[in-house]
Amino acid sequence: MSNLNNRLEEFKKTFESGAPPYNVTPEVVAKMHRATDELKASGIEDRALKIGDHAPEFVLFNQDHVEVASKDLLRKGPIVVSVFRGHW
Amino acid sequence: MELEALKEIDSEVRALGAQIVVLTPELERYTRALHKKLNLPFDILTDLHLKTAEQFGLVFTFPDYLRELYKSFGSTLDRFHDESEYRLPIPARYIVDSNSLIRAADVNADYTIRPEPSETLRRLKEILRTETSPHGEQKNSNGEDDRT
Repeated sequence: MSNLNNRLEEFKKTFESGAPPYNVTPEVVAKMHRATDELKASGIEDRALKIGDHAPEFVLFNQDHVEVASKDLLRKGPIVVSVFRGHW
Repeated sequence: MELEALKEIDSEVRALGAQIVVLTPELERYTRALHKKLNLPFDILTDLHLKTAEQFGLVFTFPDYLRELYKSFGSTLDRFHDESEYRLPIPARYIVDSNSLIRAADVNADYTIRPEPSETLRRLKEILRTETSPHGEQKNSNGEDDRT
């Protein structure tokens, strides 16, 4: 199986090099690094739920506008919940 | 890239009696397009206004300079999320067992690093191995509220 983080790392290298189509400047890269450093330093990772915590229940709409309840999913077995930031 | 990588482990996850769900703050019109484009075998759920991600403790607000930077790229998070604030969750992947307990947690404030799907699969197998009866004890025909 190909390694996701190797692919991400390759993308990051290309992106930060300023190559097209992104053509980012070193100033932009510096700002993005600053944001990530500040976020790390904010302690957000430590505040996130951890092993042994209870997961929050949710009832959310899926892509077809069908309501999905975590309770119903968990009745069938464990779930892998992947939190995705989207296009950004 | 992350969703495509998750797609690669989906059949194995299902074979283990588990399922994948993706949570994102993006509105349904965007999740629908993404789901279709990637032809995903699992649901993408719209976590409207990041309510669930907040309960997981994953949400941050953009500092002004970052918001301006994204705007200069033409990124309009406000439109995608139906809120004026620029907020996102940090990437995270949890394995939740049938008792609603978190059994694996992988979070990283650096969004350029994502939980590795092969690691998720390994952890899932490990968790199921240590459980004598992973699921099937709960009744299916109980009078649960049908929250519609």
